[in-house]
Amino acid sequence: MMRGMKMTTENQTFAEKFDLLGCIQCGRCTGGCPVTVRTNLNVRRFVYDAYDEGLLEELARVTDIWDCTACHTCAVRCPKGLKPLEVLIGLRSLVVESGKTQPTVRDALESTFMEGNPWDKPRATRNDWMEGLDVRIAEPDQKVENLFFVCCTIAYDPRVQVTARNMVRLLKKAGVDYAFLGTDETCCGSEIFTLGEDGLFEMLIEDNTELLNEYRADRIVALSPHCFTTFNTHYPDLNKPVIHYTQLLAELLEQGKLVFEKGLHKKIVYHDPCYLGKQSGVFEEPRRVLQAIEGVELVEFNRNRERSLCCEGGGGKMWVESESKIERLAETRIKDAHALGADIVAAACPFCVLTLDDALKAEGFEEEMQVAEIMEILGELEEMQDNSSSAQEVED
Amino acid sequence: MGNVLVLAEHRQGELRDISIEMLALAPSVAEALGGEVMVLLLGSEVGPMAEKIAGHGVKVLVVDDPLFADYNSDKYQKVLSALIDDYKPKLVMMGQTAQGVDLAPALAVEKGLPFVPDIIGLEVEGGVIKATRQLYSGKVNAQVALKEADTGLVTVREAAFEAPDPSTAGAVEKIDSPLKEDLDYRKFVEYIEAEIGDVDITQSEILVGIGRGLKEDKNLPVAEALAEVIKADLCGSRAACDAGWLPDDRQVGTSGKTVQPKLYICMGISGAFQHIAGIKGAKTIVAINKDPNAPIFAEADYAIIDDLHKIVPQLTEKLKELKG
Repeated sequence: MMRGMKMTTENQTFAEKFDLLGCIQCGRCTGGCPVTVRTNLNVRRFVYDAYDEGLLEELARVTDIWDCTACHTCAVRCPKGLKPLEVLIGLRSLVVESGKTQPTVRDALESTFMEGNPWDKPRATRNDWMEGLDVRIAEPDQKVENLFFVCCTIAYDPRVQVTARNMVRLLKKAGVDYAFLGTDETCCGSEIFTLGEDGLFEMLIEDNTELLNEYRADRIVALSPHCFTTFNTHYPDLNKPVIHYTQLLAELLEQGKLVFEKGLHKKIVYHDPCYLGKQSGVFEEPRRVLQAIEGVELVEFNRNRERSLCCEGGGGKMWVESESKIERLAETRIKDAHALGADIVAAACPFCVLTLDDALKAEGFEEEMQVAEIMEILGELEEMQDNSSSAQEVED
Repeated sequence: MGNVLVLAEHRQGELRDISIEMLALAPSVAEALGGEVMVLLLGSEVGPMAEKIAGHGVKVLVVDDPLFADYNSDKYQKVLSALIDDYKPKLVMMGQTAQGVDLAPALAVEKGLPFVPDIIGLEVEGGVIKATRQLYSGKVNAQVALKEADTGLVTVREAAFEAPDPSTAGAVEKIDSPLKEDLDYRKFVEYIEAEIGDVDITQSEILVGIGRGLKEDKNLPVAEALAEVIKADLCGSRAACDAGWLPDDRQVGTSGKTVQPKLYICMGISGAFQHIAGIKGAKTIVAINKDPNAPIFAEADYAIIDDLHKIVPQLTEKLKELKG
């Protein structure tokens, strides 16, 4: 039923569900796991121990399972093609099922169930980011080429709303046939899946599939890599392809429909979001977009592409803190960018922008460097500039 | 006979405030019922405590027995059950406290008492006892009448009433323990003390929040001084807790705690979305930040656009003056 993911039947054991017998205990998962530098998480150990059904309850109580950011480095490195992280998610599911989850997680899940977003925001205000913009809202019976899926975080968090606002301006300028879903849009379930709420995730998949299939659109364009990857990995019955917006931009550039008139003389380092890069293989398009801006000097992190260092924004970590006091990975990332002498750390993911922005402030580099969504950078060019308060930087 | 029996609560030799707070309600109810207030004190060597309660012009029934050195719901229930039979009070009152919520329901079931928990008001109308309690997270107050019965039971919300000052001297009457021997199926083991300084910010009425704008931990006294004057607890943004200025349990936001103070004064917090989500329950928000574009100002009821290091010490001084 679900593409790329095994379904559990009542007769399936935990070991069968996650193919634990397929594991050869080589340890490449833990060896590459980025959070091991700041937490005690040892994913290989969990894969080993979880084979013993009698241990599952005990394992689910180990707080380490909440340290995983679902970056998929372990899955990328696994020589057997397993997804060790999903064992941790399976253990989280046991916690959620028992009803003993952290209040922060509970609230996010409840909000998603009630309002269609994990941010405890009313569904009715989902379009507030559109204020002052004339945005075309999709109608099921109207044909449209590109149906946009905004993402809960971009829709509600004032720091990243600029992604969607600038996208609307760019689409108009490039004459792209587009429409947005508006308040009907409901969380894709990316974080609900990683927080372990299987039932709610399945419900979202069902509802969203039904909703999205109704529209006469050629394709869905996701603004967030989380929605993009979730649709492509967990929504087998979607009747249209889903692309990430950077893929659309690369296409528009190639077709000559998008031309950046003004240049930007800045050194930019591009941070590969885990969900876009190592999980979905989109490495080139974001770089192509940035390189198309005259004057931009694009530099690379040592740990880039599939080796990109996770920012710790995914895997439900927006609602769960690690106990670790060791430097956050986002801070390591910012230091690396600073050492490269970058003016801008560019990302194409709302979670990356938020965590990296926080880290920028934590490291005190606000004066020298900037963290920006790619759409934010494009907004700096030409008349797309967004002067509303939503584009303001957030201090912490 | 319309007596009101109030159960005094104490812990580790200290009389709990709720014991006296209930005396803000009990006398008028007893008077309306044509009876008197009796306070029941179960404990060991509680003579001075009994005198203290009696100082509020009430009769105190004391069971002074080592069996009651520490609270035990089974023993308390046995005693209350027997005394309700003996004294036939029209109403029994106890605190909506850890003890009260443990004891009251079991007692109500055992004796078949009409029971209203967590009350914030109590009156008698035409001989009927009516209690006020909150519904829908405090959005609605409901007045409920206790069913006609020989004895009714209520638990009273803590800090809902101001404890009355001592008045005339009442009487202390020692009574025999209806419980003759220890019950061994549930035992008091030990008190586990919360760590010193351990504050649950989700319960704080006034909070002072700090963010990265504080710059460094040596500026913490600026916030602490303000908090002390207005009797606030300190909390912080993720950044402030990351920096180690405050312990993790003081973090407010989607990955920390959701708070609902009556007053939230935040300084140097620009208002990241994930922080704002944690303060949506705050009644009044005062934001101090030097950046006029800080998103926190969209949430704030009062905005002070200036350097916190300049403003907060002055604010603290002014508040000190006002408080005398």
